[in-house]
Amino acid sequence: MGNVLLEALNVRVVGSGEKILVLAHGFGTDQSAWQRIFPLFTPYYRIILFDLVCAGSVNPDYFDFRRYTTLDAYVDDLLNILDALGVNRCAYVGHSFSAMVGILASIRRPELFSKLILIGASPRFLNDKDYHGGFDQGEIEKVFSAMEANYEAWVNGFAPLAVGADVPTVVREFSRTLFNMRPDISLFVCRTVFNSDLRGILGLVRVPCCIVQTAKDVSVPASVAEYLRNHLGGRTTIEILRTEGHLPHLSAPALLAPVLRRALSR
Amino acid sequence: MPTPVTAARQCLTEESARALDEAVAVARRRSHAQTTSLHAVSALLSIPSSTLRDACARARSIAYPSRLQFRALELSVGVSLDRLPSSKTVEDPPISNSLMAAIKRSQANQRRHPESYHLQQLHSNNNNINNATGCSQTAALLKVELKYFILSILDDPIVSRVFGEAGFRSCDIKLALVHPPVTHVSSRFSRTRCPPIFLCNLTDSVSGQVGFNFPFSCQEDGFDENCRRIGEVMVKKSGKSPLLVGVCAMEALRGFTESLTRGKSGFLDGDLAGLIVISIEKEVNEFVTEGNEEKLGLKMKEMKGILEKCTASVGGGGGGGGVVLNFGDLKGLFLEGVLSDSVSSLVLKLTGLMEVYRRKLWLIGAVETVEIYRKFSDKFPNIEIDWDLHLLPITSSKSSFDGAHSKSSLMKSFVPFGGFFPTPSDFRSPLSGRNQSITRCNLCNEKYEQEVAAILKVGSTVSVADQHSENLPSWLRMAAVDTSKGEDVAKTKDGETMLSAKVLGLQKKWDDICQRLHHMPAIYKLNLTPAGPQVPIVGAPQFATEKKQSSSEDPSINESRFPSQSPSTQIPRTSEAENTNFQSRLLVDVSSLAQQTDKVVRGFTHQPQQNLSGRNPSLFVPPVTTDLKLGTMYASTSQESNNLKSLDHKERLQRGSISAEFDANTKNTSYQFAQSSSCSGLATGEQFDQGDYKSIRKVLDEKVGWQDEAVNSVSQAVSQLRRSYGSCRGISCKGDIWLTFLGPDRVGKRRIASALAEVLFGSQEYLISVDLSSQDKGSQSNSIFECQELNGYDVKFRGKTVSDFIAAEVRKKPHSVIFLENVDEADYYVRHSLDQAIRTGKFPDSHGREIGINNMVLITTSTITKGNTTVFFEKKPMKFYEERILGAKSWQIQIVVGSISDDVSRSNVTGTRVTKIKEASASAFVNKRKLIDTVESSELEKTDTGERVCKASRSCLDLNLPVEDTDEDLKLGESDSESLSENSEGWLEEFLSQVDKKILFKPFDFDGLANKIVKEVSSQFQRTVGSEVPLEIDQEVMVQILAAAWLSERKGAVEDWLEKVLGRSFAEAQQKYHLTSQSVVQLVACEGVVVNEQAPELTGYLLFSLPALPRFIYNLTFLELKIAFKDWKGKMLLILCKLSWCDQLMNRP
Repeated sequence: MGNVLLEALNVRVVGSGEKILVLAHGFGTDQSAWQRIFPLFTPYYRIILFDLVCAGSVNPDYFDFRRYTTLDAYVDDLLNILDALGVNRCAYVGHSFSAMVGILASIRRPELFSKLILIGASPRFLNDKDYHGGFDQGEIEKVFSAMEANYEAWVNGFAPLAVGADVPTVVREFSRTLFNMRPDISLFVCRTVFNSDLRGILGLVRVPCCIVQTAKDVSVPASVAEYLRNHLGGRTTIEILRTEGHLPHLSAPALLAPVLRRALSR
Repeated sequence: MPTPVTAARQCLTEESARALDEAVAVARRRSHAQTTSLHAVSALLSIPSSTLRDACARARSIAYPSRLQFRALELSVGVSLDRLPSSKTVEDPPISNSLMAAIKRSQANQRRHPESYHLQQLHSNNNNINNATGCSQTAALLKVELKYFILSILDDPIVSRVFGEAGFRSCDIKLALVHPPVTHVSSRFSRTRCPPIFLCNLTDSVSGQVGFNFPFSCQEDGFDENCRRIGEVMVKKSGKSPLLVGVCAMEALRGFTESLTRGKSGFLDGDLAGLIVISIEKEVNEFVTEGNEEKLGLKMKEMKGILEKCTASVGGGGGGGGVVLNFGDLKGLFLEGVLSDSVSSLVLKLTGLMEVYRRKLWLIGAVETVEIYRKFSDKFPNIEIDWDLHLLPITSSKSSFDGAHSKSSLMKSFVPFGGFFPTPSDFRSPLSGRNQSITRCNLCNEKYEQEVAAILKVGSTVSVADQHSENLPSWLRMAAVDTSKGEDVAKTKDGETMLSAKVLGLQKKWDDICQRLHHMPAIYKLNLTPAGPQVPIVGAPQFATEKKQSSSEDPSINESRFPSQSPSTQIPRTSEAENTNFQSRLLVDVSSLAQQTDKVVRGFTHQPQQNLSGRNPSLFVPPVTTDLKLGTMYASTSQESNNLKSLDHKERLQRGSISAEFDANTKNTSYQFAQSSSCSGLATGEQFDQGDYKSIRKVLDEKVGWQDEAVNSVSQAVSQLRRSYGSCRGISCKGDIWLTFLGPDRVGKRRIASALAEVLFGSQEYLISVDLSSQDKGSQSNSIFECQELNGYDVKFRGKTVSDFIAAEVRKKPHSVIFLENVDEADYYVRHSLDQAIRTGKFPDSHGREIGINNMVLITTSTITKGNTTVFFEKKPMKFYEERILGAKSWQIQIVVGSISDDVSRSNVTGTRVTKIKEASASAFVNKRKLIDTVESSELEKTDTGERVCKASRSCLDLNLPVEDTDEDLKLGESDSESLSENSEGWLEEFLSQVDKKILFKPFDFDGLANKIVKEVSSQFQRTVGSEVPLEIDQEVMVQILAAAWLSERKGAVEDWLEKVLGRSFAEAQQKYHLTSQSVVQLVACEGVVVNEQAPELTGYLLFSLPALPRFIYNLTFLELKIAFKDWKGKMLLILCKLSWCDQLMNRP
């Protein structure tokens, strides 16, 4: 099972350091999203890169619509990867979707994680009574129907929005990986994400966390980072990047890298 | 009294209203006076991603193939609708009483189950579930959800009869409706490769027997995963009592307990089967809020009893059983945020229970946030151990499965043939067909229905009195009776099967015909829309299997089951008649498509005839032929896949042609190469073992004469390495040779690489060359180097990463030279791959798959040299340097004759010089007058002929260059100055330290060559024109000539050109136009006019349009050069005809 999984999810281990660093990409990208980040850490860490099962680079047959209905299945995948690789402690960098997965994984196996770095993380994307997640249910439904109607158009519209910063190559890159996803899978994952609500369980996290947030992010309002810090159970810090967009590791690797380095060294 | 449609719509949610509208449309189309439940069913079945259809698919019995059962369903619905009396068309047939009653019922149902209603509301209002209980009455007008709408319609007796006729039990369908549809949808996607790891999908067949206790409460969606995880916790030895944490925890808890009470514990292991859920939530609530202890006590007692029983049965050896005690929301224990003392007693009670019945008792509860739990555990610090709690994060609320619903419709947007795409249930209803966007038109439908009727007529054993009322129901009634009895089911079903197969065949036939004829534009239009690449992949195999099924199953069934049926030839006849009929109409109707269709239709009619004449007419002939027809229809008319394929194909062709072009190009060069150095190249092949070094050196020398030292060290390195590898052959040792070419002279490096490929592996085709810097840079248009650099990133890689591309190439050519230019600009993936390759001898692609690179020669190049010293010392004032030459454009070269009347200072200057005549050529076509001015003004310095002069000019000219050259420098600088460049240098150093051999290249001596060329040109010029006429050569021209000389494989190509082409043109110019010392002859590049784009219209000052030489020399052999020269002469004559007018202009004072 382990090897099959490692192969299916294109798990790669690079770098020569002692400590282990897991880089988990978010929705709409694949592990290539880290290509501007991970080389900076290879001398100091053994880096584990993998694709989420929903990524375009993974055989869509592996995506079991019955299984990946909640984030827990993704957590299973992550933990299985780490177990298969014999990891017993690691630092975890998760972007967006994977930040949620990381939170859940660290609740389930707190001893496994020495640190969580959550980039563009949000426990809940939908607004609630006294919570501002950034999206309204109606809005989201509109997005979903737009995705259904014409996925490519949606991708082309969404990508620049998500990237935020005006970096055409990054927009192209993100569009590529986003469009690589099979649209039904993409939509399904989207729904899973928007249905997920981690607010109640943040307190169960015991691992120290670092929340990395850009100054402006279409998906995650600034208040969310504060919410996370107040509710996460472990020692938590916030790092604000002076850039825009939901994908700082793509659009501003030079800014993100020192922040990561600092966060990891703490 | 029927209700107006608008009134009915008010009671429905948007989704349901849409379904109702569809139903109304069905009624209108059939000219029925009222919209009934039947219409609604028909509409519901036809909606894309129909919930009802999904439910049917899951509820159907496994005994029969789903397609056939659906076919039967469609038929019975259709027949029932046919039986309704039609009247004159009404705009919107009002809602019949029965349907309205159904809506009312569903409203009531929904009101009775406020949880579901509020769950739905929860998402729109962000209401908390906990405070939702009280306010259900406030909603005056409940909007009926689609699910409830369908459920109520299924209650309608006429509807259940229709379903019954098709072999469905409406209670099964209802059951399926309230269960998550995911189970079905996913089954299509979870293929063998990834077997469902968790078998938590609830099998409906089991629950069907339990009995249908409609209406269920909510929470049918999304409990699979949560339940599974709860189950996992409960199986554990310790910490087995799950406490669900999360905003959605209550929902999950409810879902879990409900599924347990319903007896669906598929998600629980065998040990846990037969658990009983006892919920004390209400009692606890009452106890906490009102202090009412009585009920709680009763409940506890009851539970104790059960527990006793369980333990007793365990003692008796019978496993299983146990109690799950659901204490509900932990918040319920709080009274106004405080835990009262009475709660402590309750907690203690539970703790006591846990102690006693630890093995048979599970507590379960939910809490919204951890904070609440913390408060609780502060009060009862040992609670986690006492209750054996395990905190289980619950992250997902319900309705994450809406995605599954919309799946098919989503796919549809990607599939040109929406209707044809096999929906989850893998069928298409004839009735629904009418409502779908692409379907049969009325005409075809009519025909189709006629044929169906004909088949049914034959199929029925009862004599036919009335086509409409008697014929069809008779069969259906029979089927219905048989099913209900449960006797002889197989036989009837098979009869049904056959009939349905026939019907299916007909339907497909007409669908196809109709689609071909009437929907062609739609097809094309749809093809233009961005269809995902997965379409053919998803669609095609489905079709294939379908075809196979139908062709393999049906005949056998027919043959085995119906040997004694009375023969009938009626079916083929009718269809024949129809077809011919149709055919003729076709020919009239659609001329362009007719031919195609004609063929198909003929194939259609032809086959049955043949079969009939060939065999005894028996019943199983028609079905067989139907299948054949189907086959042919599909083979020839599966247009969507074909079309898509052809698109795909075209793309591939394009790609192919590009690569072919590329190949041709390399071949071309290699051909040249072979010609010039054939003997040495071939001879060396044999001599390797002895004189490796010498032969390599010889070939390389011939190729790149100017890089003495580099050639020497390359050949040394290669021969040495080969020898050392050769000696340990057989043992698994490294056989790859890593070289790095540092420094300038790109062409030289490339040439050496390709020469190595030829020497070592026999052909230049074994050169895999990738410019690692080219990914970001668009290649400059019209550059000379463009022609040899067809390897633009896009063309070559097409979405592949560089390392994938390299890996693929290596796989193709396991013995080759890999030539990676500008390795310093490689991206991280390539770097990583290279790192690993150099260490392990295996090149990994981006997915980590490795490919051996033994026996390969890997050459990386970089313009960066260590310390940069060499570059700097070469960077003394140079007129022509590599970057500039690389920027050479392949423009046409012109000879322009001007006069030097005004400028006195100039008149005393004779000889040849190289200067910058930039604007002159640009404006040549624009304004004659201006030209003279600009020519004059742009001549900034003059020099004498000879070597001495050139030296001088070199230093002077530098002053001129900056304007243009800084740009270029900037451009080059840009690519280097990436944000992480400091990192890249470090990497490069490390990488280079591992390379077998580093070879330093000298810069190409462009200036020396330039001097030589200038000398050559001026001697040509003086020989033909005379020494008193000054000749000016544009720098741009010089750059071109230099580039050509640099690139040309053959020695002396430039000299040839100078003599044969340029010399003669000078001569002609002199002949036609007597040049004096008063005139200036200029050799300029015709900016913007690319070679090969012949520009005969150049008039005015333009005397000659020379075929631009660089590409000329680069691409052509000598023979071809001659021919081209002839060509050029013909054109030149044309141009010279216009000279008289020019003369006048020139002779102006």
